[in-house]
Amino acid sequence: MKELKTGSIASVVVRFAYAGCLILSGACAISSGDEPDQPIAYNHKLHIETVGLECAECHRYVETSAAATLPPLEVCRSCHESEPLTESPEETVLLKYVADGTEIPWKRIYHVPDHVYFSHRRHVVLGELDCGLCHGVMQEQTAPVRSAFLEVKMENCMDCHREHKVTNDCLSCHR
Amino acid sequence: MAKWTMAIDLDRCTGCGACMVACKTENNVPIVTPEEAHEGRVMNWMEMITEYEGDYPNLSVRRMPKPCFHCDNPPCTRVCPVGATYRNEEGLVAQIYHRCIGCRYCMVACPFTAKVFNWHEPIWMEGADTCYNPDVSRRMVGVVEKCSFCAHRLTKVKEEADGEDRSNNDGEYLPACAEICPADAITFGDLEDRTSAVYGKSRDYRAHRIMEDLGVEPKVYYLSKRT
Ligand code: HEC
Ligand code: HEC
Ligand code: HEC
Ligand code: HEC
Ligand code: HEC
Repeated sequence: MKELKTGSIASVVVRFAYAGCLILSGACAISSGDEPDQPIAYNHKLHIETVGLECAECHRYVETSAAATLPPLEVCRSCHESEPLTESPEETVLLKYVADGTEIPWKRIYHVPDHVYFSHRRHVVLGELDCGLCHGVMQEQTAPVRSAFLEVKMENCMDCHREHKVTNDCLSCHR
Repeated sequence: MAKWTMAIDLDRCTGCGACMVACKTENNVPIVTPEEAHEGRVMNWMEMITEYEGDYPNLSVRRMPKPCFHCDNPPCTRVCPVGATYRNEEGLVAQIYHRCIGCRYCMVACPFTAKVFNWHEPIWMEGADTCYNPDVSRRMVGVVEKCSFCAHRLTKVKEEADGEDRSNNDGEYLPACAEICPADAITFGDLEDRTSAVYGKSRDYRAHRIMEDLGVEPKVYYLSKRT
């Protein structure tokens, strides 16, 4: 009963915030939170700051190949086995995926078209660039990513290349 | 700066066609229907020219694999109104499909008919649509395409070499045709590197280039004792 009450108070607060947003003519970025775009409202900040994970422990191929890749279920399972660690309803959803053994259908935000070659290894290892330059400060991200920090656009790629005196030969990116 | 060059030894070439097949699969070159083939719309980046000499029974066959020659003085890039085809610093003649407007001037300008046009949206055979090469984009209807010397392989080789803080070795970057050739007839490498295998081949007494008098400076050498 107690839990239900907190829940309804929270939802009232959310509704007030939402009304506030409307009054401020929709420029507000707070989402009402009852319909996450991702299957699970995954929290980057919590796992990086509190749990102490590195980017490459979940995005396993970021330093060795072109694609960073999203973590497969087995990564989450190594900690979220069967006993819930929190009271979060999101974790309950996660544990259901773990119990069923089905991969979580994460949605991708950043995407280059098939005629462009983009390599994480090239930028992160060889170029020694910080993830934040392109993805924003993920360490502070508490909600799922909804939009790209640096839009995947040719002019954005080329601007940075010009700055770093990297080639802008069409053939180096296009294939 | 490297200058990527190919040498094809016609005295070694058996005309087996493995280079054509390797090229087609490597670069997701569409396979056309028999009707389209009849209209002369076969798409190959690597062609096999066949010539017959003499009369039966004293017949001899000549086979000559023909990729894009990646000319140092390319006529095709000059006529492109949008800069979709150009020669880059390393001597590769590039074709940027999404920039191409399909005017086909470059096809007309090429003395070696190296370019092909996508007359139709490519049809992928059942099964083939799931196992195309992800390193090469699939082209759409209305654009010109041609042999790229497998430039996508160069991107990877460079990344590999930069990762190990070295320059790439002779023979590390090979197009699919050179890699597959069972007779080792195709040599590929950097002409500026005097120690490279392809440099040696280009200096062979049998070496010549096709239609040298045009002045387009092709970067494919043919080696043959026959004239
Ligand atoms: C515990 C595992 C984990 C760790 C550690 C982690 N991530 Fe993630 N990351 C995920 C999951 C799961 C998603 C998909 C859900 C989402 O978008 O929030 C994701 C999504 C992303 C995305 C969006 C990708 C897209 O196209 O949708 C970026 C960018 C990203 N992470 C960057 C980082 C960076 C930078 C770090 C290190 C500072 C990091 N991540 C650490 C699990 C992790
Ligand atoms: C130079 C800009 C840049 C930097 C630096 C960068 N990324 Fe990315 N990231 C991209 C682009 C562009 C994509 C889209 C790639 C695609 O579609 O193949 C992407 C996609 C992703 C994805 C989505 C999944 C995937 O397989 O691609 C994740 C996760 C990710 N990046 C994590 C990271 C992490 C972690 C770092 C730092 C270690 C990092 N990125 C550094 C530009 C960058
Ligand atoms: C290294 C262990 C570890 C891994 C790997 C890990 N987590 Fe967690 N996770 C934790 C811990 C510890 C907590 C509880 C933190 C706390 O005490 O608040 C947690 C909490 C959560 C919560 C509930 C808290 C909230 O506010 O959202 C969710 C949901 C969650 N994790 C999802 C995931 C997903 C999805 C993955 C796989 C991509 C994953 N975790 C991988 C350790 C891990
Ligand atoms: C924040 C800056 C930045 C952004 C944004 C960026 N790059 Fe880069 N890129 C670099 C740097 C620095 C290097 C050189 C890395 C090295 O030292 O090898 C590089 C190298 C490359 C190379 C290898 C070039 C070569 O030498 O052959 C490619 C290909 C490339 N980037 C593609 C892209 C694409 C595609 C995008 C956009 C989706 C992009 N980059 C966005 C900074 C950036
Ligand atoms: C640093 C990497 C990079 C370089 C260099 C580069 N591009 Fe791009 N290009 C991209 C990316 C990423 C996209 C996809 C995102 C977009 O459409 O902005 C793109 C998209 C395009 C498109 C649009 C495709 C469409 O579907 O609308 C065209 C046309 C194009 N590039 C042509 C060129 C030409 C011509 C050159 C050489 C002068 C060139 N590009 C050099 C990265 C690059």
